[in-house]
Amino acid sequence: QFVPSEPPPPRRPAVFAEAHESDEEKQFRRVFQQLAGEDMEVSPNELMNILNRIVSKRGDLKTDGFSIESCRSMVAVMDSDSTGKLGFHEFKQLWNNIKKWQEIYKSYDADGSGVIGADELPKAFTAAGFPLNDQLFHMIIRRYSDEGGNMDFDNYIGCLVRLDAMCRAFKTLDKDNNGTIKVNVQEWLQLTMYS
Amino acid sequence: MSGIAARLKHNRDKAQGIGTNSHAVKYLNQDYESLRRDCLERGRLFEDDCFDAEPSSLGFKDLGPNSYKVRGIKWKRPKDICSNPQFIIENATRTDICQGALGDCWLLAAIASLTLNKQVLSRVVPHDQSFEENYAGIFHFEFWQFGEWVDVVVDDRLPTKDGELLFVHSEEGSEFWSALLEKAYAKINGCYEALSGGSTTEGFEDFTGGIAEKHELKQADPHLFHIIEKALARGSLLGCSLISADSEAVTHRKLVKGHAYSVTGAEQVSYRGRKEKLIRIRNPWGQVEWNGAWSDKSSEWRYVSDDDRERLFDRRENGEFWMTFSEFLRQYSRLEICNLTPDALTGDEYKKWAESEFEDTWRRGSSAGGCRNYPNSFWTNPQFVIKLDEVDDDPDEGEEGCTFIVGLMQKNRRQMRKMGQDMETVGFAIYEVSTRLNYWGKKQVHLKKNFFLRNCSTARSETFINLREVCSHFCLPPGEYLIIPSTFKPNKNGDFYVRVFSEKPADFQEIDDPVECNVEQIDVEHGDISNSFKRLFGQLAGHDVEISVFELQKILNRVVMKRNDIKTNGFSLTTCRNMVNLLDKDGSGKLGLVEFKILWTKIEKFLDLYKERDADQSGCMSSCEMRVAVEDAGFSLNNPLHQIIAARYSEPNLSVDFDNFVCCLIRLEFQFNTFKTLDEDSTGRIKLGFMEVRDV
Repeated sequence: QFVPSEPPPPRRPAVFAEAHESDEEKQFRRVFQQLAGEDMEVSPNELMNILNRIVSKRGDLKTDGFSIESCRSMVAVMDSDSTGKLGFHEFKQLWNNIKKWQEIYKSYDADGSGVIGADELPKAFTAAGFPLNDQLFHMIIRRYSDEGGNMDFDNYIGCLVRLDAMCRAFKTLDKDNNGTIKVNVQEWLQLTMYS
Repeated sequence: MSGIAARLKHNRDKAQGIGTNSHAVKYLNQDYESLRRDCLERGRLFEDDCFDAEPSSLGFKDLGPNSYKVRGIKWKRPKDICSNPQFIIENATRTDICQGALGDCWLLAAIASLTLNKQVLSRVVPHDQSFEENYAGIFHFEFWQFGEWVDVVVDDRLPTKDGELLFVHSEEGSEFWSALLEKAYAKINGCYEALSGGSTTEGFEDFTGGIAEKHELKQADPHLFHIIEKALARGSLLGCSLISADSEAVTHRKLVKGHAYSVTGAEQVSYRGRKEKLIRIRNPWGQVEWNGAWSDKSSEWRYVSDDDRERLFDRRENGEFWMTFSEFLRQYSRLEICNLTPDALTGDEYKKWAESEFEDTWRRGSSAGGCRNYPNSFWTNPQFVIKLDEVDDDPDEGEEGCTFIVGLMQKNRRQMRKMGQDMETVGFAIYEVSTRLNYWGKKQVHLKKNFFLRNCSTARSETFINLREVCSHFCLPPGEYLIIPSTFKPNKNGDFYVRVFSEKPADFQEIDDPVECNVEQIDVEHGDISNSFKRLFGQLAGHDVEISVFELQKILNRVVMKRNDIKTNGFSLTTCRNMVNLLDKDGSGKLGLVEFKILWTKIEKFLDLYKERDADQSGCMSSCEMRVAVEDAGFSLNNPLHQIIAARYSEPNLSVDFDNFVCCLIRLEFQFNTFKTLDEDSTGRIKLGFMEVRDV
């Protein structure tokens, strides 16, 4: 019932990738190289700086800024090799999702308040590919919205990144597609502690 | 979470046998059978869009898109190159391999050795492929890549110039398995040019999954002759060469410099009343033979027994010749032995090595401990134990021992990076573990710093080196040995693959701590709480007599921010929410007096632990000390979990703030509790629906 975002395509040799990039992708690669620095990986701090630099220029997205805790969590749910940083593919996937979800945020903020109200939330999440049940919406609002039930931009993105990662994690491990997964205590801790 | 899930799935697949030779991983998810079927149904020839017939598949520099070398190149299918192309004519032989315009002689030498061993060859080159039956322009090959067999498909468009193959081709010109094999190997390496320059051992290993040892003959192992005899008996691939700057120059004794030879035999004969060690060598050209002592025309053969002469002597000009072992050591400079995995050899004619292997990782701040020069962190490296029970069958000159080979290989997972950058300087050390400690049958635990301060290493890799693999041969008395692979300097991220080949079956295991929670439960009765604490609680909780997440955050931050002896950015709302989740027994979402008192007691204990670990009074502890602190707090965790904790909770400079320390311990306890609750019948495995994972 969930429509998680596409997993990254299988990795192809660098020479192939570089030769087949569109101009937009080439530009993205340059941005990544600048941002990621010498180690070619994006740390939570680097992610926080770039996200806050972008949202600060936007008057139409209300936010009190991305916190380091939220950025640590976003990196953790995407990171596959326990380095605590995102590589090119992981970061690109995150980036594309954020771009997509930001457009949804804007178009479902019906009253132009700059935040997503509790009544606007189900439609926005459904458009993002997460048609959740009432119980889950209720839980998400309690967790990510303020006392008035309004969700600002950083909480909205933080919530979707985690939700998306969870759906994909579940799908990956649900090998026979029967709606359940089995984990032992180590796997459980790996999944839940690194989020 | 999605990243970790992908990793867990990889481990599960591997446990199920995916990645073995009979169940290879499909490279780039391309499935040979279904792609071919699809092409046949649509009546089209396969065109591989993952490795296009385009300049970018050729190279990036000398063979780059605008270089003069690639001018006039046309990609053609074998049917357009010759009238009657064949995949394999009879059997694949070494004459099927003639070098083209690419500096990949190392690869070709490896392929040539491969053709000498049919069993091994048929694993790399599935023979049931042809240009007639069900031909669809698609072929596939299997390579060994860092512990996994990978099935690679290619289309049969090959680069040609003036109507002839540009790269590898067969002598006859109509046989194409070698050209297609080269194309497939180029595909997994990115392009043809990526194959230029390399070592034969890399090719040996990627085609066999075996382990390759190098012996420099100028400082030869005193037992080398015996090692060669054993290697031959085990079907290993042996190559030797004379290293020289002037490639393929022929000496007056008719040996070719800079050329790869194969070693095909080792024997001892009685000669003039003494034992002479002889070695048989083969020039892959099939001609140009050594003309010194013991060569085909030499007189030495007159003085051996008729039996030996009958058995060993062969006068034909076939490239193969004998020389004495001592001459061999003088004439040649290097010997390479590729030992094969047991599954590469069937039948009884070969003795087999016992093989065990592990994949593991070094991570900055947790398990990248560096070498023995760094005693504070060396012990945090992944640890493995090998138990050698039985001595070798035929000891060399009465010396009893257990022979084994250890290979440590770096995995280059990041294909986006250029080669070379990812190679760390790596090596390993071996310690004898006294049987008194008895790790077997009992709980196995990761050995701590003290062990390494008190014990010296028994053996070690020859050097720490920035090569893809370091590999050494050992012969030690029976016993238990700890093997510790590491990077030279600490805090270098790396993925590695460690293998042990032993003469007799040996138990090889990773030793790590069990995953357990032994946190002391804090029992607090209402009556135990002092009046002053009650008064404090009353002031903080306000009229609802409970403390909410927001109130908790304010209170904690007011307390910790005042202290100069601990470093913290203040508690996040998430951490406070975790605390409430852990202690809120009545489900109100808030903390009552008793719950708050328990939390307070816990935090005081955490504070003590934190300060105890902060040896230098800096106000924060390092992620390496975190490992010990987590243990002191009552958690036993293994390497993958310590790695996650360092990645999630440490700062870029590898320090851990007080708030992150508390957050980590609270979450650990909460998740252990949750698991226990869900594991109703204590099977150690829980079944979850999506709603139960919704820890958003």
